[in-house]
Amino acid sequence: MRKFKWFWAWQDEAEEAWLRDMSNGGWHFSGMSMPTFYNFKHGEAKDYVYRLDYRSYWKMDQEEYLQLFRDSGWEYVEEMAGWHYFRKLARAGEELEIYTDAESKIGKYQRLLAFLGILMLPLFFAFFNLRNPPYGWMSTIQVFIFLLFLLYVYAIVKILLRINQLKRL
Amino acid sequence: MMTEKEANKYLPLTEATYYIMLSLIEPLHGYGVMQKVEQISRGTVKVGPGTLYGAFSTLEKEKLILKIKEEDRRKSYVLTPKGKQVLLSQIERLEIMTGNGMGVKQSLG
Repeated sequence: MRKFKWFWAWQDEAEEAWLRDMSNGGWHFSGMSMPTFYNFKHGEAKDYVYRLDYRSYWKMDQEEYLQLFRDSGWEYVEEMAGWHYFRKLARAGEELEIYTDAESKIGKYQRLLAFLGILMLPLFFAFFNLRNPPYGWMSTIQVFIFLLFLLYVYAIVKILLRINQLKRL
Repeated sequence: MMTEKEANKYLPLTEATYYIMLSLIEPLHGYGVMQKVEQISRGTVKVGPGTLYGAFSTLEKEKLILKIKEEDRRKSYVLTPKGKQVLLSQIERLEIMTGNGMGVKQSLG
């Protein structure tokens, strides 16, 4: 079964919870053909816990990375646009977190912020290079870029708030 | 040799990083580190794979640990002389912290 579902960049925990619910109902996440399109395989209902990590491909030693997860009982399901999907059966005594302290969890959100920041740059330039449009104060495309820009700002604020929440005494 | 000031730049280590470095006094691969940390901390500290991968990358970049061999895709690390010095500085700080804590422990009931 293929299912369309939209999650914003700051909703990784909601996405994890949704995937777990699906597995509880017998639909196990099997991969994505593109962002927002989730593939599921039907089977026996299982309590899989899903965890999402964010890490850019080009900066990592993928083999070593995946081996660490495998060794600690995590199954690698998918990678999509820098997001790595892992799952593990929820059993008593199992460690169900991939990040076991606030500092490293904050690191994940900082990497995400850096990526969003880089994405925002061309948008910024596009906006100012489209000045003096032939009609009106802002062209349609400028309005569109502007709205996209606002969305980015919103995403960044949401992620910053999350980081703040994770900080401890 | 590194000066004390240079070593202090890395301090204080997080609890997880401290235990990871402690366990790398001898060569060990990732999963070995996870098990050892849990064991020597008597279960008070667990290191998940996301946390460990990040710690390995940072420590290796700062040359506090060194990749020494690879077996079945598992890479082993060990402390460098610089890493040992940073760890030593951390331990000395912890001794002061514990000493201060001991001083007031009884009056806390």
